[in-house]
Amino acid sequence: MIAFRHVSKVFGSGDTVVRAVDNLSFECPAGGFWALTGPSGSGKSTVLHLIAGLTPPTSGRVLVDGADVAGMTAAESAALRRRRIGYILQSFNLLPFLTARENVGMPLVLDGVRQAEVDARVHDALALVNLAHRAGHHPTHLSGGEQQRLAIARALVIRPAIILADEPTGNLDRNAGRQLMDLIGDINERTGVTVLLVTHDPVFAAYAHRVLRLVDGALGQDMALVDKRRDPARAAAR
Amino acid sequence: MRQGTGIRYALLGVVSQHPDGVHGYALKRHCDRLLGNFWQLNFGEIYRVLDRLAADGLIEHVLVGPESSRKLYRITEKGRRSLDDFILLPPTDAPRPLRQELAVKLLFAGPGRLPELLRLIDHQREAYMRELSLLAVHRRRLARSPVDSFVTQLLIDGAELNVRAELAWLDEVTQKLQERFAGGA
Repeated sequence: MIAFRHVSKVFGSGDTVVRAVDNLSFECPAGGFWALTGPSGSGKSTVLHLIAGLTPPTSGRVLVDGADVAGMTAAESAALRRRRIGYILQSFNLLPFLTARENVGMPLVLDGVRQAEVDARVHDALALVNLAHRAGHHPTHLSGGEQQRLAIARALVIRPAIILADEPTGNLDRNAGRQLMDLIGDINERTGVTVLLVTHDPVFAAYAHRVLRLVDGALGQDMALVDKRRDPARAAAR
Repeated sequence: MRQGTGIRYALLGVVSQHPDGVHGYALKRHCDRLLGNFWQLNFGEIYRVLDRLAADGLIEHVLVGPESSRKLYRITEKGRRSLDDFILLPPTDAPRPLRQELAVKLLFAGPGRLPELLRLIDHQREAYMRELSLLAVHRRRLARSPVDSFVTQLLIDGAELNVRAELAWLDEVTQKLQERFAGGA
């Protein structure tokens, strides 16, 4: 569960002060698939940074599974990022000299996990994103969509409770973007991982179950999309 | 194109895809698959249109077997020519942007109603987001279906672009209304 309680984040001071997040409160349940949307500069990415403990809130509380991220030591917040949170960005940040398999295994290797377990978990993560057949390839030999799926496998390999995805479709064409959103939806459904997606594109935001629209760092609108999508009557009609 | 003409030829088109005839129930299923999300048709409407098509001689009834009462619909030669003519003529419908109620409300609401207007815009935005969500579901269902859905995918692309444009317009209206009427608020 991710909870924001009256969270504000202010950058700068005096005349140059910017309220990136302004008294924001919400509660995303475990297993939720939510999207944050809004114009650029509306504070969407800052929300993800606050959850990952990459920046502390100026005021308010950011709770991840009940623990206040701001109250964590540097080591605790690093452990949260390494073991509980998978981060996906617009740029894939893959290491070009490593194979797909090695890229995905890297977070586990760095965390001292023994090789046999690394191999097993990498295999599972690559299968989840339908890339098992590309395990031996280097990122430069993969398409943009495949590279982003590889980045997702690397985020999944730690078996995170939460996936934070910041404009993951930003470098993909529309079709590859749709396929990626389908995949993220599937993974959310099959593994129960909580997904918080930041996107300025309404077409991609519409894959989420709930959409929060941020305006100047504050909650502008809270839209629930899931009830109609899962309406059993519609499903039965087909 | 009036909606009536569209539905008429959509049904005639579906019937034409079954040279041996198609049962009313199967016809509805094919319509839902091809046109679902764009035209929600119930059995009543479908049978009304089919009756008109039969009265105009564009389709005919055939019985499945000598002792069966099951009725199939089959396109006639006249129906085929009519469908062909329809396909090749330029569309007669003009684009009709901003023909929703919201545009009229905006025109006559007056500046004193800004908070209410912004809520209406939010309401409309949520409706559009749900529409996008349904289109994504429809697209996924088509992708899993073994039937070739190339053209229906194109129609979904078009619907998605329309909704995207409407959403962009709502964002612009919101921003401009606030600049004009809530400056400093």
